[in-house]
Amino acid sequence: MTRLYLFLAVLFAVLMALPLVLGNYVLGIFVMVYFWAYVGQSWNVLTGYTGHISLGHALYLGVGAYATTYFAQNFGLSPWIGMFLGGFIASAIGLFLGFLGFRFGMRGVYFVILTIAFAEITRLIVSHMEALGSFTGIFLDFDPSFLHFQFRGNVPYYYISFGFMVVSMVVVRTIERSRLGRFMVAIRENEEAAQALGVNTFKYNMLAIAISAYMTALAGAFYANYIFYLHPNSMFGMATSIELILRPIVGGLGTIFGPVLGSFILSPLSEISRAYFSKGGLEGLHLILYGVVAILVVLFMPKGVIVYVTKMLNPILKPETARQGKRGDDADGR
Amino acid sequence: MATSSGPVEPVGPVGPAAVISGHQDFYPALLEAPDSIHLLLEITTAFVVKWLAAQEAVDGPFKRIAIADYNDNKKEGIGMKKKAGKELNRRTFIKTSGAIGLGLAASSFGVPTLLRAAPTKIKIGSIQPVTGPLAVIGQGQRKANIMAARQINAAGGIKSMGGAQLELLLGDSESKPEVGRQEADRLIKDGAVVLQGPFQSGTAMAIATLAEQRQVPFVMDVAALDAITQKGYQYSFRVFITAKGLVGGAIKYLKQVTEMKGVMPKTAVVTNTADPFGKGMSGGFLKGLEKSGFPIKIIDRIQYPLGIQDLSTEVAKIKSLKPDLIFPVSRPGDSVILTRELYKQRVPLMGIFCPGSPGWYEPHVVKDLDKLILYVLVNVPWVNPNSTVYQKANAAFYKAYNQILDTNSAYAYTGTLVIADAIERAGSARADDIVAALKKTNFKDHPVVGGPVQFNEKGDNIGAMTALIQVQKDPDYLKRVKIVMPKEFAQSDEIVFPAPPLWER
Repeated sequence: MTRLYLFLAVLFAVLMALPLVLGNYVLGIFVMVYFWAYVGQSWNVLTGYTGHISLGHALYLGVGAYATTYFAQNFGLSPWIGMFLGGFIASAIGLFLGFLGFRFGMRGVYFVILTIAFAEITRLIVSHMEALGSFTGIFLDFDPSFLHFQFRGNVPYYYISFGFMVVSMVVVRTIERSRLGRFMVAIRENEEAAQALGVNTFKYNMLAIAISAYMTALAGAFYANYIFYLHPNSMFGMATSIELILRPIVGGLGTIFGPVLGSFILSPLSEISRAYFSKGGLEGLHLILYGVVAILVVLFMPKGVIVYVTKMLNPILKPETARQGKRGDDADGR
Repeated sequence: MATSSGPVEPVGPVGPAAVISGHQDFYPALLEAPDSIHLLLEITTAFVVKWLAAQEAVDGPFKRIAIADYNDNKKEGIGMKKKAGKELNRRTFIKTSGAIGLGLAASSFGVPTLLRAAPTKIKIGSIQPVTGPLAVIGQGQRKANIMAARQINAAGGIKSMGGAQLELLLGDSESKPEVGRQEADRLIKDGAVVLQGPFQSGTAMAIATLAEQRQVPFVMDVAALDAITQKGYQYSFRVFITAKGLVGGAIKYLKQVTEMKGVMPKTAVVTNTADPFGKGMSGGFLKGLEKSGFPIKIIDRIQYPLGIQDLSTEVAKIKSLKPDLIFPVSRPGDSVILTRELYKQRVPLMGIFCPGSPGWYEPHVVKDLDKLILYVLVNVPWVNPNSTVYQKANAAFYKAYNQILDTNSAYAYTGTLVIADAIERAGSARADDIVAALKKTNFKDHPVVGGPVQFNEKGDNIGAMTALIQVQKDPDYLKRVKIVMPKEFAQSDEIVFPAPPLWER
């Protein structure tokens, strides 16, 4: 285990030092890597651990972004505070959705439809609310200062998004090792059995969705102050919901390192291939490449890339478990 | 350049070149006769590359190479890049050393400021939605940008900078704001001194903010939402008309047509698709109409979903209301259904006046509706077919890409011309100089309807305006769409209003 922690510490130090050598553009790629890793991790809390598939997680991202921006523009509230309020609003919406879903036993596709419906309804409501910029969206003012969560260069964004990602990993790790995490996994594996054994499945499902929504909403605040433009279609739309779940799926569902690894694979892939094929004449090839990689991973690595990476790294990082044979696999990146 | 044993000794093509031409003449010639200097440097660069290869053959592979590289990125200035011999393979080294040879040696001779004044390439970043839902438009935009840059280069480049050539760096926003922003950042990293694009207002906002963060000028060729230029940004300029200007144009032309013809419509119905564009455009028009005090009564606003297949009930309702005019905000599909239904139900109208939306001028729509679409009036940003600039550009565009230079691509074309004009007047590729020159822009030779491009303090083009077009009789359906207002751009002196009933044509 010490080797694993040593490896992580070195990795952490390297990533912390990156802004010393990298320019704005490459830092921008890392910002997107961390951002999507964080959002994927937030989604992972619900879907990866309890097994309830949410295809409408853009809803919470959008609520966080819009709430933070609304408070900042109308009440001058710093996004640093506004984002937590946004988190609570997203949690409340998540709890309402969860109540409908879990209380009335909607599972599988029915729960999926419920999550899509909520995101779509919110998208339409926001599209018609003047106070939220309706369909033209909200343009944020650019007024760089720490208090406003806005900066000139990408370095502060880099550290903030990195911090988001690291904190999310710590949070998920803590949840995983707590009773809550055990119950959540029990629910994922067999909800009826868990219930029969005395797990209050309703309570833990609700907790999971509240935490997941809360975390996702915080990312919304970051997005708003990084991109400076919010549009209902891009914040609540289906495309964002799908973009958001791709990384944990590619990396590995229900693991701590899965979303992070997935993000480190997919985000640079799309970025580098776009830059490479942008010379003209090959427009869109990068999207095809992106799709092909996603398909290949799902076909050949249904449990995510993380499984293979742990297999590869275990003998080096965890010699004691690797020697005990199969147990090493079980203790994979979780 | 350190060999295995020798000391660090700067080598480069400028030294030999200066010796050949004589130091006295060399530096002035950089400005006065850049072409000959380029030729000379090409020869000496080839020599240096050979010399390095020969040295490598004697001494073995380089272990460490220090490259004093002139860096275009203004914040970093001259930087030293160090790479271990292993990482730098020979081919790329020879290639790079040739390409940066000029800068390499120049900095060792201490003349970077002179070079800064006359770089051979000026990089412009073009970010357009080349993939995604707007791909077709985005590709047209990109092609127009490319064509404009090529034409400027063919005509001798930027003359105030010794014929410097424009190099277009291409970016794809994928029709998404965050991707547009990231692409813009990439192009800035690659040395773009100006950005242009990006068709969508959302992406425009993301890039405008980035331009402000990185202090790089940004010229929007197309992007209409008012809000983009309301933030007081110093680095953003918009060639296209604002949404407010579009609505203002509709009301202005409505007044002019009715006054000119002495016919006063009393009532009207607004129809629109119930999507963001339809609602926004018609809502803006209604507000503007109310504010303007134009004496027409809007008796109803009929909204229907995008992609509707049947408008019979809506048209029956319009018929019962007996309006004089219809103000439709539509898309190509429903404009055809609406017009056919008005004909079928024989709705008497003075005319159809579109305040600004697609569906009334596209060649296939004009062909399909034939007589029924005649005399429709449309307020729209439009190309100026009378101008030689447009005629030439359109011919070249058709030749190169087999497609007509439409309004959007003509604006994209104009954007690149405006940038080149500003750099020409600035005589410099520095951001602040370009911004200062852009602020003083007064650019007349463009292919769209409107006055000279001039930017106000917000960065909006005060010369931008819409045209009023009318579909008129012509045996060739491609020539039926004609500009009727403003006078100086008109292709037809006659405006038909009120229009004869649909069924008597």
